[in-house]
Amino acid sequence: MTSGPSPRISTFRLDNGLEVVLSPESTSPTVGVGVFYRVGFRLEPEGRTGFAHLFEHLMFQGTTKVPKPQFGNLINSAGGLLNGFTRHDYTAYFEILPASALEMACFLEADRMRELDLNQETLQNQLSVVEEEVRVNVLNQPYGGFSWLWLPQYAFSRFPNAHNYYGEFQDLEAATVQDAADFYRTWYGPGNATLVLVGAFDDKEARRVVQRHFASVPPRPAPPDPDLEEVLPSTRREHERQDPLAPTPQVAVGYPTAPFGTKDHLPLALAARILTDGRASRLQRTLVRERALLLHIAGGPMYPIGDSFEFRGPALFTLEATPRDGVPTGEAVAAIDQEMARLAADGPTEDELRRSRRRELAAYHSHPDSRLGRLTALGVMAAVHRSPEMVDQVAERFSQVTPEQVAGAVTRWLRPERSTVLHWRPRAKGGRG
Amino acid sequence: MTTPEPATISKVPVPGPVPELRVGSVHRTELDNGADVMVVPRPTVPRIEFRLSVPAGSALGPTAATAELLRMGLPLGTAELDQEQLAERLQDLGGSLQVYQDLDRLTLQAAALSEAEDELYRLMAALVAGPHFPGNDLQTEKAKLAEALRSARATPHFPPHEAVGQLVYRDHPYGRLEPTEGQVARVSRGSLLDLHRLTFIPRSAQITVVGDVDPRRTLRHLRSAFGAWEGPRRVPLAPRVRARVEPELLFLERPGSVQTVILSASSGPTHGEEGHIALTLATAVLGGGFTSRLMSNLREDKGYTYSPHARLENHLRDGMASASMEVRSDVTAAALAEIQHELARLATVAVPEAELRTTKSYLIGARLVMLQTQSGLASALAQVRGHGLDHRYLERYQQLVERTSAAEVMAAARRHLAPTAMTTVMVGDPSAAEGLEALVPVRRRRSPAG
Repeated sequence: MTSGPSPRISTFRLDNGLEVVLSPESTSPTVGVGVFYRVGFRLEPEGRTGFAHLFEHLMFQGTTKVPKPQFGNLINSAGGLLNGFTRHDYTAYFEILPASALEMACFLEADRMRELDLNQETLQNQLSVVEEEVRVNVLNQPYGGFSWLWLPQYAFSRFPNAHNYYGEFQDLEAATVQDAADFYRTWYGPGNATLVLVGAFDDKEARRVVQRHFASVPPRPAPPDPDLEEVLPSTRREHERQDPLAPTPQVAVGYPTAPFGTKDHLPLALAARILTDGRASRLQRTLVRERALLLHIAGGPMYPIGDSFEFRGPALFTLEATPRDGVPTGEAVAAIDQEMARLAADGPTEDELRRSRRRELAAYHSHPDSRLGRLTALGVMAAVHRSPEMVDQVAERFSQVTPEQVAGAVTRWLRPERSTVLHWRPRAKGGRG
Repeated sequence: MTTPEPATISKVPVPGPVPELRVGSVHRTELDNGADVMVVPRPTVPRIEFRLSVPAGSALGPTAATAELLRMGLPLGTAELDQEQLAERLQDLGGSLQVYQDLDRLTLQAAALSEAEDELYRLMAALVAGPHFPGNDLQTEKAKLAEALRSARATPHFPPHEAVGQLVYRDHPYGRLEPTEGQVARVSRGSLLDLHRLTFIPRSAQITVVGDVDPRRTLRHLRSAFGAWEGPRRVPLAPRVRARVEPELLFLERPGSVQTVILSASSGPTHGEEGHIALTLATAVLGGGFTSRLMSNLREDKGYTYSPHARLENHLRDGMASASMEVRSDVTAAALAEIQHELARLATVAVPEAELRTTKSYLIGARLVMLQTQSGLASALAQVRGHGLDHRYLERYQQLVERTSAAEVMAAARRHLAPTAMTTVMVGDPSAAEGLEALVPVRRRRSPAG
């Protein structure tokens, strides 16, 4: 297996605790600047579901030095793009812009790491915006939030893992400016953040720029990693939800999956490819084509939001299926169980394993082609796992996984008695499906 | 290495100008069968991106159902290579394949590790020359399409898009409705083979390759892979559009909706036509990026909506300008009033210089970012080539944007984005329609899945 050219990575840490990852690559005159904070859905306080994401919105609401509409104006005026996203174990903010705007982006990120203009007016405004976001993506859509938002609430039992990540409206509406100030002070200090720079810059000059803008951000001690552990279930749990908008039943099966760094972690990532990646995959071949039970099946660790590397707390390996007309969701689950048992017993063929590795190799080679792809890969690996160098080692590690390791990992983790099944039901009686 | 007590920098550093956009060296040739080939070396990563486009979609398909099943049926493979074998071969190349279709073109979008480029071209050539559409697999694709249409019609976004296309384009093929489940069921294998023969004609085909390639070797591989592909004539294109947009509102009732989807659209110039860049700028001032007027007003000031935006969709024969957003039900009329206010302001007051400057930089920068990846460049080239343009258009884009004046932007907005130039479709709970008659003539209909 070739490992191919890859931009090199260097890392250092400022006195205030900020971790910095640099990956210069100059084929295009652009840079990516990202700040990854080690806080996500899981760490929002009880009674404040949805707060991590609401807070992400507040990070765009201005500071004393750069009041409300200016942040976006400055980035767009420089020819740059910007956005942010909240996930289970981190929250990311990024700008992709012409190389000459690197220093400006560092200034702006340092500025909002140092202080925010938190006030009732912007809080109220962004609360309304977030409620519309939840309506667009969940409440007004068929299957809204199915596997990523609802399934974990049934599969896990402790608040950090088992609550509504987008937020119950009464919790969102109860949020105060003081909550925001507390959350910011606790989780948004330089000691709890990773700054990632990728693209067309000189390593030494970039270090000076980072120093100039971020070194003056006062340190705030990073809280210790919280305990997120769950007890693994020993019997299958079955639940159902009614969806008045859904025309057809669907079903999701979630299995707690192996943590990063354990021996079963990478084999399960390959198992996901072998089971669901494209028309050559096991479940598509057997359940969609040969047995004609399903129309669709997709899945993997953290499906559909996230991947094998996005999490450090308990996470699900999820399969999401649409049965054909007339096939009960229970029959679909029984068929999935049979295929899992077969993979556990016999392991993948050499051929299946080779193709899954080739797909991983292609993914590894494609990510540095986009500034955002490279930035996100490094930011996630650095902020979530403290090992940015893993980004460039992962293809090589996948190449060493054996069929026996995949079979063993499937046997240990993708077991029916560990799983939670969520049947998604159209509400209309006698309707189609 | 860090110094204690560093000083805080208090002034925003000023960035330089947005750099020029360069596609790089372009190698273009025509194969003996007439296929038009463009190869652009871009050795950033050891991969290649491949696009093969032919005129298709609404201009050609006898029905929307046949056209859509042709798209879905290509990955089912050939007589020699079934869908699993094709998918396995692609995975071995570290590759992927998606087939896309818009109103004008059908595109095979594929990628592979560059070491396997010749094998990828052979697989693609086999698909364009002889897809098979085997009976059982075709039945499965039909069932998937029927289910996808059912699910799409249950969303609040699909019905207004379908309706607005019909309101803007009427009898023109662009106004064709999406297929019904009955139409899907009636498509035969024979009609797919016929449509395939009409569509995949080398003389009408454009092939684009971007990636880690030696252009001479790539051209040799392409010649050898696609050399046997034959076909005599060119495919007809969609006729000219003569749009006549009525400034009215169609309200699709979807009882129980917790939000109203608003979509306003009009007809305008497309790539390469007079006024296209001015309208692109006007659309971006209205609803592009983080700092657009719809964003500042309806989101950051009023809190009515999450993601308001405006865009210009460049079909071959027309540019459809649109503004869209989802708002909470009880502010539906208030939101439309604000949208109309923004449309009217853009049509009657010149955009201030600073705002126009920001919008120009945003458009140019976004283009720069898009074109820096192999896949972004390949898709952009395939798209403009479909309009009879090429890489020079992409490189000239910056200059075209820079020299467009505020007066030209206002003229484009007045013609294509004024409240009187737009037709609007909404999907929401019937109660949300209250007050809309005060702003625009309203027709009501039940939403398809409502």
